[in-house]
Amino acid sequence: MGRTWSSMDDFEAFLDDGGMVEVDDDMPDEYRAAVFRFIELHANSELMGGLTERDWIPMTPGLRHKMAVLAKTQDEIGHGHLLYMVAADLGVKTRREMLEDLFAGRSRFQNVFHYPARTWGDQVAICLLVDGAAVPSQKAVYKDCSYGPYKRILKRIIAEEGFHLRLGEERVLKIAEGTDAQRAMFQQSIDDWWWPALRLFGPDSRPNDRLARWRLKSEKNEVMRAGWVQKFVPMLHSYGFTIPDPGLTHDAETDTWTCGPIDWEPLKRTMAMDGPDTARRIAEASAAWETTRWVRDALDAAPAGAVA
Amino acid sequence: MHTYEIFLKKDGQEEYRHAGSIDAPDDELALLLARENYLRRAEGDLLWMVDRTHLLVGDRDFVAPNSDKPHRDNDGLLVAAHRKSQREAQ
Repeated sequence: MGRTWSSMDDFEAFLDDGGMVEVDDDMPDEYRAAVFRFIELHANSELMGGLTERDWIPMTPGLRHKMAVLAKTQDEIGHGHLLYMVAADLGVKTRREMLEDLFAGRSRFQNVFHYPARTWGDQVAICLLVDGAAVPSQKAVYKDCSYGPYKRILKRIIAEEGFHLRLGEERVLKIAEGTDAQRAMFQQSIDDWWWPALRLFGPDSRPNDRLARWRLKSEKNEVMRAGWVQKFVPMLHSYGFTIPDPGLTHDAETDTWTCGPIDWEPLKRTMAMDGPDTARRIAEASAAWETTRWVRDALDAAPAGAVA
Repeated sequence: MHTYEIFLKKDGQEEYRHAGSIDAPDDELALLLARENYLRRAEGDLLWMVDRTHLLVGDRDFVAPNSDKPHRDNDGLLVAAHRKSQREAQ
């Protein structure tokens, strides 16, 4: 058996000391529930993101990028797989229960996966802006994460997300060098995806954020969001694209870009499972789960070691 | 369904390291899933897997006594103090 703590104060003192929690520890129920919810949301988002990638495999232009999308799809589904293992070990839900909750619309996934990707430009914008938001978010969790199994699997995931971000940057370079029609398509995608990607960081962190208290987050949402704006505004400007934010300001002295007021209503709608593409996405994922049921049943029915 | 623990090793480098776990119905599929999920970009050259139920675990209580055996170490402080006092006497 793992370690036990007599009270939440004891446990938090352990965390303050830099302590790492492992799966066999008798962690406080609130901590277990919070870690589980966090990892389940991450796992669901990886899986739903992977399904969007999959949609674009046949439509991706050029063999090189088509192969890269194949790899990215496998990466994302794989991340979901890894994270579901870590989440299941917490003993709150089994992997199958998590998947069934997701496909029944009973559990959440991140806001950006509630929107439709209509054009190749959208895929480029997602690969740049969404992966560009996911990487710093995951790094901020990894940096000081108190839950050992999650921290270790995040290291692997972050390395692969880095490949995706570089792929996104390359796609932007290619599309920026394209025809006027291609550039116009990508400008539309920036206009559509800028705000959903920015809202991925969430509203400003509350001072009493338990996830920060328990070292699941080591950076405030607003700090990560500001870093994202500072990175992508100059990058997109350098390619001659515009940012759909009339309130965007630039401090010439510090060369700092700051976004205008943020409308949080769309984020609330996606969190209430009522985003622009939520219903279709859930229905499609759920249908795929149903049509592959026979595979799971066959595997479950196979006697142990029958194939080997 | 079985849960397998996965260990990876790079040629000539250190020991096998735990990478994570995977669910699979049998050994053959377990190996395939492990390769496709954990060895996507040459993260290792060799792979070990073991059904979690076959792991023999020494828990913290079993291991703990050996972390409190100071007589097995020598911090060298006594000799260092002697040398220092000799240097200072010169």
